[in-house]
Amino acid sequence: MSASKGPAPQGAPAKAATLSPAEAGYKPHYLLNRSRNTLLTLAGLALVAVILFFVDSSGGTKMQQVFALFAIWGIATVSLNLVNGVTGILSLGHHGFMLIGGYVTGLLILPQAARDNLSASARSSLSDFAIGLSVENWMRALGLDFLATPETLWARFLIAVFIGGLMAALFGIVVGFPSLRLRGDYLAIVTFAFGEAIRLLASTPMMASFTNGALGFAGVPSEFGKSVWWTFGLLSIAVFVMARLKYSSYGRALQGIREDEIAAEAMGVHTAYHKVLAFAISAFFAGVAGGLWVSWVGTARLDLFLFFLTFYFLVAISVGGTGSITGALIGTALVVWVRQYGDPLEQSYPLSTWVLALGCVLLAVALIAFLVRRHKRLKPVTGPVVLGPLVLGVLAVGFGLFGTEMTALQQSWQGFGMRAITLAILLIAIMILRPAGVMGRKEFSWAMLFRERLDEPTDEERRQDAWLSNAALAASLAGDDEEEDADENGGAV
Amino acid sequence: MLELKNVYKSFGGLQAISDLSLSIKQGEIVSLIGPNGAGKTTVFNLITGVYRPDSGEVDFEGKSLKGLKPSAIVDRGVARTFQNLRLFTNLTVLENVLIPQHHRLRSNWFNAVLRTPGYLRQEREAHDRALEKLAFFGPRLMSFRLHQSVEVLSYANRRRTEMARAMATGAKLLLLDEPSAGMNPKETREITRIIRRMRDEGGYTILLVEHKMNLVKDISDRVVVLDYGRKLAEGSYHQVVNDPAVIEAYLGKRSDKDSAVARAQAADGMYADIDEPGSQA
Repeated sequence: MSASKGPAPQGAPAKAATLSPAEAGYKPHYLLNRSRNTLLTLAGLALVAVILFFVDSSGGTKMQQVFALFAIWGIATVSLNLVNGVTGILSLGHHGFMLIGGYVTGLLILPQAARDNLSASARSSLSDFAIGLSVENWMRALGLDFLATPETLWARFLIAVFIGGLMAALFGIVVGFPSLRLRGDYLAIVTFAFGEAIRLLASTPMMASFTNGALGFAGVPSEFGKSVWWTFGLLSIAVFVMARLKYSSYGRALQGIREDEIAAEAMGVHTAYHKVLAFAISAFFAGVAGGLWVSWVGTARLDLFLFFLTFYFLVAISVGGTGSITGALIGTALVVWVRQYGDPLEQSYPLSTWVLALGCVLLAVALIAFLVRRHKRLKPVTGPVVLGPLVLGVLAVGFGLFGTEMTALQQSWQGFGMRAITLAILLIAIMILRPAGVMGRKEFSWAMLFRERLDEPTDEERRQDAWLSNAALAASLAGDDEEEDADENGGAV
Repeated sequence: MLELKNVYKSFGGLQAISDLSLSIKQGEIVSLIGPNGAGKTTVFNLITGVYRPDSGEVDFEGKSLKGLKPSAIVDRGVARTFQNLRLFTNLTVLENVLIPQHHRLRSNWFNAVLRTPGYLRQEREAHDRALEKLAFFGPRLMSFRLHQSVEVLSYANRRRTEMARAMATGAKLLLLDEPSAGMNPKETREITRIIRRMRDEGGYTILLVEHKMNLVKDISDRVVVLDYGRKLAEGSYHQVVNDPAVIEAYLGKRSDKDSAVARAQAADGMYADIDEPGSQA
């Protein structure tokens, strides 16, 4: 004990105990390097706009559709992330909210011609009341004739999407209530049941007067769902709201509920209100995504809203990183890419081509394993994880390239279901390599890009910390005049 | 300030608390001690609304707390720490101390998303208040540790964060459940001083559960002893530890000859698991 005693080192701050917030030089994170970050954000947005411009003007129809689908599913994933990732409630009923938003939007903007067809058709079970539900009619009734022209369809679409979102939010509030009493798996089952119940209800004769049962209704204008500008515009609003929400006091409260619900309640967070709020906001954007999705397809059909939809979003969230908006978007991009560009995977090729492809995948695995091991400074860098795939990969590539003469490899084989298999393998690989997802809980930020970390001490702070953790010196920290202190200090000097 | 009147609570057949009356005045530091399973934490849970008393009254500043949700009780001005830390582990120290201030926010979520001037002003105030509370524990949590997730903190720093978090709720009465658990003697003595400063400078009234009798001896204005859910004794530290009923509860019944020894041990501080470096010197 006595050996460690001595006068404070030169670098030690003299008035450490009375440091006020202002003296500590604290600034909220969003105020650091603000102008630089604003400029970079504007530049980034401009870059996205340029890319979208080229996709819109010179990209093929397929590419435009893929971009639009990415944005639509991005809205849904980001909104699911609010409940699943940020608030920590496993919700499996997202397709139900999307269905509500989709059907409401579809019905409200259905052109008059499609309505006439439906009311003339003997197989249609839509009621006259439902056929009369049209934003166009409402605008006429309100005397806003300029909003009922074909040129202002966009305004009616926006109104319809907004109403669809609100309807979904209403149902979100209803689903939010079981979340007040249930937790974990039990709640997941309830939300799943709710999502399925919405879909099955929509097919019953009772609701068929609004949904037209299993037939659905075609002819929904698809110029919005397939336009990159509309979809990305709404996506950016969704991301903006979600990001601002996450980094607000409300977002912190939601994350508190995720971390420890009992502690959050004990710290004054009204957990019931906040959970229902999360469900409502999430369902609103799910409804918006549903509206765009129906518009993208051009038809409101029940089989557009199967549980698979929610499953894809869950995969996207898990891959990207639970709770991270950036991660949700990365995950969506991956899922959409595999789904939309996976067609070549399901074609028929000679076996030698398959072997060659397998070899390339194995070589890539070896390379990634090598890079990971080098990054983690594991010795030896070429462990069995690297050598195994490397050897197998070289063999497979060899067979693929030079074994074309072998009759066994000349047979052709069609890769049915290779898309799903590829997605599954990607998921497994990410879960093994990065269980927390690509982004973990982190978000992309310019500070992250420039490696500005607030949680790492400066040299000054490190010195101060060493001084603080020195037991003998820190005794005087509390700065009161107790006898023990007096004794100790007396003994030291 | 806080008034418990004839509170009863049972779990199935187990009578956890029976006929407990307790009153705490503004500016007091009261310690609640008792053997394991005596019902100390249950008392905390009854006050903070985790449990509802079977009968009896829990009043705070003249108004009943009975039947309120824990979050509503925090609004009234009672906050607690947990025996086995319940911090928001994956969030930073700063976020941990900001969350308890959320219930004071007077902006709705939409204003928070739009970052209206009113919301931003409240956010700044919350940051200042968070640092003000963390400053009770010296600068150790205030520089780079502010942005570290609680996961990487030492146990003592987690305890400090949890106490700062309870203070940040804006409560007037703090219930501290074993504030020195897992701390070394040095840190225990520091936390003793800090608890006193919390009362003297922060103006908090404090009810604490503690097993380290040196800490209890140093800071308590009053000590309440619980055993099997009943109040066994109440009074100053020395009154309480010399009470035969208390000694019996802790050490078992002794013959008359032994009880003098037991009393002497008790006066020295039962459960004195603290080495006083000062006394060694």
